[in-house]
Amino acid sequence: MSEILTGAQILCRELMAAGVDVMFGYPGGAIMPFYHALPEYPGLRHVLVRHEQAAAHAADGYARASGRLGVCVATSGPGATNLVTGLATAHMDSSPVLAITGQVSRPMIGRDAFQETDIIGLTLPITKYNHLVQDVSELADRFREAVSIAQHGRPGPVLLDVPKDVQNQRAAYTPPDAGRAAPAALSPLEQAVRDAAALIDHAERPLLMIGHGVILGDAYREVRALAEKTGIPVITTLLGISAFPESHPLHLGMPGMHGEVHVNRAIQHADLIVGIGLRFDDRVTGNTAAFAPRAKIVHVELDRAEIGKNVPVAVGLVGDAREVTARLVAAVAPRNCDPWLSEIRGFVRPRVESFSGDLSPEAILASICEMTAGQCTIVTDVGQHQMWVAKHYPYQRPNTHITSGGLGTMGFAVPAAMGVHLARPGELVWAISGDGGFQMNMAELATMVQEGLTVKMAIFNNGYLGMVRQWQQFFHEKRYSSTPIWSPDYVKLADAYGIAGWRVETRAQLDDVVQRANAVPGPALVEFVIAQEANVYPMIPPGGSLSEPIEAQPAATPAD
Amino acid sequence: MQASHAVAVLLDDDLLALNRVIGVVRRRNLPVTGLRIGPGEPAGVLRFSCFVQTDDGNAERLLRQLEKAHGVRHVEVLPVSHPSEAVL
Repeated sequence: MSEILTGAQILCRELMAAGVDVMFGYPGGAIMPFYHALPEYPGLRHVLVRHEQAAAHAADGYARASGRLGVCVATSGPGATNLVTGLATAHMDSSPVLAITGQVSRPMIGRDAFQETDIIGLTLPITKYNHLVQDVSELADRFREAVSIAQHGRPGPVLLDVPKDVQNQRAAYTPPDAGRAAPAALSPLEQAVRDAAALIDHAERPLLMIGHGVILGDAYREVRALAEKTGIPVITTLLGISAFPESHPLHLGMPGMHGEVHVNRAIQHADLIVGIGLRFDDRVTGNTAAFAPRAKIVHVELDRAEIGKNVPVAVGLVGDAREVTARLVAAVAPRNCDPWLSEIRGFVRPRVESFSGDLSPEAILASICEMTAGQCTIVTDVGQHQMWVAKHYPYQRPNTHITSGGLGTMGFAVPAAMGVHLARPGELVWAISGDGGFQMNMAELATMVQEGLTVKMAIFNNGYLGMVRQWQQFFHEKRYSSTPIWSPDYVKLADAYGIAGWRVETRAQLDDVVQRANAVPGPALVEFVIAQEANVYPMIPPGGSLSEPIEAQPAATPAD
Repeated sequence: MQASHAVAVLLDDDLLALNRVIGVVRRRNLPVTGLRIGPGEPAGVLRFSCFVQTDDGNAERLLRQLEKAHGVRHVEVLPVSHPSEAVL
């Protein structure tokens, strides 16, 4: 049974049919018909952000936390271009985000009209699919195609660009069938599974290296079963953190540029690496020519193009992490790796805190974990604090660590945490940023207040763009060019927005303030004043081998 | 510069699909010669071809990235000793 609707109404109806109940956006000239129709659909909650970049990050955070489609909306021209960083972030981390952009009316396209930009051309390399809707008659079909592509296979962002006159056009609309297209069946894997199982059975120093695909594929139980049946130690990449309990005796930690020394040494000594749902990116491998020189690699990955892209692979298994890992569990023989585990324990170095000050990043993270009983989701920005969280926060529950891994987008944490909160309204969400990243999107404090979004914000303030400063210290003769960064008074800033705010300067204040921030209704902001010279150790120099870490000096001084 | 691989892509007869294919090739930052675009078969299919100078590993990666692009129907990346030997 069809009915006559405008393009804008069709968009709303399709959003509801796709199960969308919240979106993030900012209205403007070319998207006004959509916003005109929106109040007719109270099931679609719209969160008005303060900048379109935040809309894309919030949709991304929502998608990562919920496993559902995240939606962002913007007008043409600057509204659409402001989405670009958020879409690139979602693209690099395989997050299913739908962006709907208004476009100038069709007769004006190509004439440099007011607020016209070629957003299709701009987003071609950072979307799985994008389309400029040519007529209202194709709108519903293109919408369904975009949503399907975003969510099936390796997830990713898609963009629909809808001219203003198409939003106003009327057409007969037929709702979609209840049943959506099923994902493609897995290709035959029997021989590859047997080959991989044989390698696992005969390896003396095997490692499991798990990434974001385990979270996206909900493969926690299968990965744990594989580890426990074989006794193989487990390494989690940055985006794989929280896919395996940190307290599990087989868990080793994070590899790569800021990975623990014993983890990287284990990689260099391994004779087999079973990678599940990861892409062996350069922050994990360092110099690929020197990566895991003794190891054969078994790679389980949904995206065929990732297998063999960065490292040579002995056996590639193309498929969903959960299904393929379950097949591996069935195919491998029970065993243990006790001698290998003992060898790895011999690689462990005593942990040295990042610096000798009173308020260390480690102490802050321990307090947040303790005061929330580990029952919160942590969303991090990019920089030193991101690495401290990755290395020191004791994640126990699946998918409770959300960060911009691939693109490394500063400014991600605060808006993404808004999306995480809406995906998990009953849970505590902490957005942890540095003073640089926080200032990139701190206008979203207003969004939190207006929309009643309960996000707890931690700012690690060391007065520097800390990770860049650290690189300048190590690799640029301590020439701290443009890295000192001034901050406003964050407590007064919070107060100006009507948000509870605290400044913590000593360890003695920690637990009390974190507890009060958790307890206060609505958003809260805590500034943690940490030492300027705090560094992330160990560190593999860019392009270096995992065998050559820069390790902590026991007594770093301010002069450093 | 001598081409090492011939690339042939059958794709939807659509500007966006063509743009995606060109984007994938351009992003690899490989030396490209002999670009050709023309009608393919059946109707509604476009044929894109070129030669690239690269090693087998990069050629394989290019093949897989092209196969992922929306609108691409079929891809062949074949080693050639000289472009004149290749039939695309």
